[in-house]
Amino acid sequence: MTDLNRRHVLGLAAAGLASTVFSPLSAFADEKELVIGGSIPLTGVFAFAGVAIEAGISDFVKITNEAGGVAGRKLRLAYEDTAYKVDQSVAVFNKLTTQNDIHLYYGDSTGFAKTINEELNRRGSILMAGASFGSELNNPEKYPFQFMAGPDYVEMIAILLEYIAKQQKGAKIVFVNSDTEFGRDPIEASVKRAKEMGLEVVGQIVTPPTAVDVSTEILKLRRANPDFTIFHGYVLAPLPEFLSQAKQLGLKSRFMGTFWSMDNSLWANVGAPADGYMGVMPYRYYYDTAPDAPILEKIRKLRPTYQATGYMQGFLTAMLMTEAAKRTLDAGKDLTAKNLKAALNTIKDFDTGGIIGVPISIPGNSVPVGRIYSYSAADKQMKPASDWISLKK
Amino acid sequence: MDWLFFAEVTLAGLGSGALLALTALAFVLIYKATRVINLAVGEILMLGGYLFFAFSAGFGLPVWAAIPLAIAGGGVVGAMVERALIRPMLGEAPISVFMVTVGLGSVLMGAVELVWNTDPRALPDFMGATPVFIGEAYVSRKIAIGFAVAGVVIALFLLLFRFWRGGVALRATASDQAAAYSCGINVPGVFSLAWIVACATAAGAGILVGAIGGISPTMGVFGLSALVVVIIGGLDSVLGALVGGLLIGLVEAWAGTFLGGEFKLVTTFSLLIAALMIRPYGLFGTVEIERL
Repeated sequence: MTDLNRRHVLGLAAAGLASTVFSPLSAFADEKELVIGGSIPLTGVFAFAGVAIEAGISDFVKITNEAGGVAGRKLRLAYEDTAYKVDQSVAVFNKLTTQNDIHLYYGDSTGFAKTINEELNRRGSILMAGASFGSELNNPEKYPFQFMAGPDYVEMIAILLEYIAKQQKGAKIVFVNSDTEFGRDPIEASVKRAKEMGLEVVGQIVTPPTAVDVSTEILKLRRANPDFTIFHGYVLAPLPEFLSQAKQLGLKSRFMGTFWSMDNSLWANVGAPADGYMGVMPYRYYYDTAPDAPILEKIRKLRPTYQATGYMQGFLTAMLMTEAAKRTLDAGKDLTAKNLKAALNTIKDFDTGGIIGVPISIPGNSVPVGRIYSYSAADKQMKPASDWISLKK
Repeated sequence: MDWLFFAEVTLAGLGSGALLALTALAFVLIYKATRVINLAVGEILMLGGYLFFAFSAGFGLPVWAAIPLAIAGGGVVGAMVERALIRPMLGEAPISVFMVTVGLGSVLMGAVELVWNTDPRALPDFMGATPVFIGEAYVSRKIAIGFAVAGVVIALFLLLFRFWRGGVALRATASDQAAAYSCGINVPGVFSLAWIVACATAAGAGILVGAIGGISPTMGVFGLSALVVVIIGGLDSVLGALVGGLLIGLVEAWAGTFLGGEFKLVTTFSLLIAALMIRPYGLFGTVEIERL
């Protein structure tokens, strides 16, 4: 039997304290590590995406490490929950960057990306991407050390508009957006672009952030009688109710959305009203068995059940920031934000392993590529409705 | 002026207002008996939506069984919360009890995330899809059903408070606990009853709200809209909840349609400020006079 006296207890406590205090230093000391920091929303209004994003980044880290790491370094993800609150995201950023030698970072929102931008510029050592496709961030002069792994929100709607213009010349469009920073982001620019493309914008409808019932909005939509209705600023609610009531009223409009409202499993729960819902997706879906998508096969082996769209977003974001780090290290340069961003911008005709169906380039802060998918209630799947559309600047 | 359009907007506003009124009722019932503002009403509403989802989609029970079970589940949660958390707080400062309900809301949200994960979901459709027309005016079927349910439930509570012994006991407890004790009223029992009935009502409202807007762990924020209703209607008035709910529903519908969706909340909160300045105890609330 162990004879545990007060001296032993104090000794053990001191040892424990020492290991806690000095563990961050040991992280700094480990030169063979490349840490991706993350302010990730695992709870709160965006938790649905955050949980999937964390899984995507973690799997990319695992696959990369099994293949030998990045330029001799092991990848590691250090993250904490932010509940999708900017102040908490900033606190997590400060904590993680104090405890770890971080050069790559994943942020959870447009608000956080804007808030932390000055700090990123001041530090000059971190390349950041994240869940936001905010068009304001797609400005390399103002946001020199940030990027997004897909088209920004204005570009997403531009892809939808290109599709609409090809389907029906002079089509009538209504924009519906939530009254949030996320929802308002692309509307003004998209209305202008639609008009330039010869499309007729016959209405703009704004829903409050907590909207449940959309009866009054449906009444407006009914009178506008558009050919296409474009939603932005939603994940799911209140879109099913829009679609359901529109079908009750026999509206002819086709309904479209942007990336965060395009998850397959969410629409599968909605059932029949979801049939025909369309939208822009920058990535292939988990179940896509295209022959030029070997990475999807690998993901399916790793996780046999469906992974949400956020998973692909997290996975690709980690892939692109790691590629930037690899190119920087291979060139024998330091991992500064300037070098990392310059390396990222050298990515040209890059094969994402099939996550995106065409080779991609990142000349600025975004990847302006996407494809239109349409939901089939019979097959319970989003099906491609167009080829990949690359926007020309 | 398109009068048909105006009529449709008005009907839509009354319908969504009825849903707010039903949720507001849960605030009123608890406050009326215990003088506690239960900020977890929104989360109990959310739990009601999830319980219905579990019974109908998870266990495959028919709707006629899943609805009463979900409502009863809300009542059971209310009983447990009252007995385990609220009753030991009797006699403490109101702010302490208030903070307990804030914490309870977070715990319920976390529990739902653990059990059902964070994905938003749609409830199985049980209301049908045939549109309702009153004359030529269109009303969403779900909103029409929500209005009818809320109307019946609130009318029932008004009658119970007026004529049923338990309702009279609750009113007596609300007006003077010591006097109620001395008359032989089981005051702790009244507290339990208020929590059970209020939480069951919130759970029922959760099924209606979830059927319209889907369910997610964050749908409890709907409860905050209902809090505005009870402040305007009067924290201890069932009739106030009804009138306040319909008023807010109408104002939001008109503001959203004729000013724009971005003005809905601005108008609602402007109305709240005006109501607090003119009638701080709400339109139908009891005016409390403190004499030193």
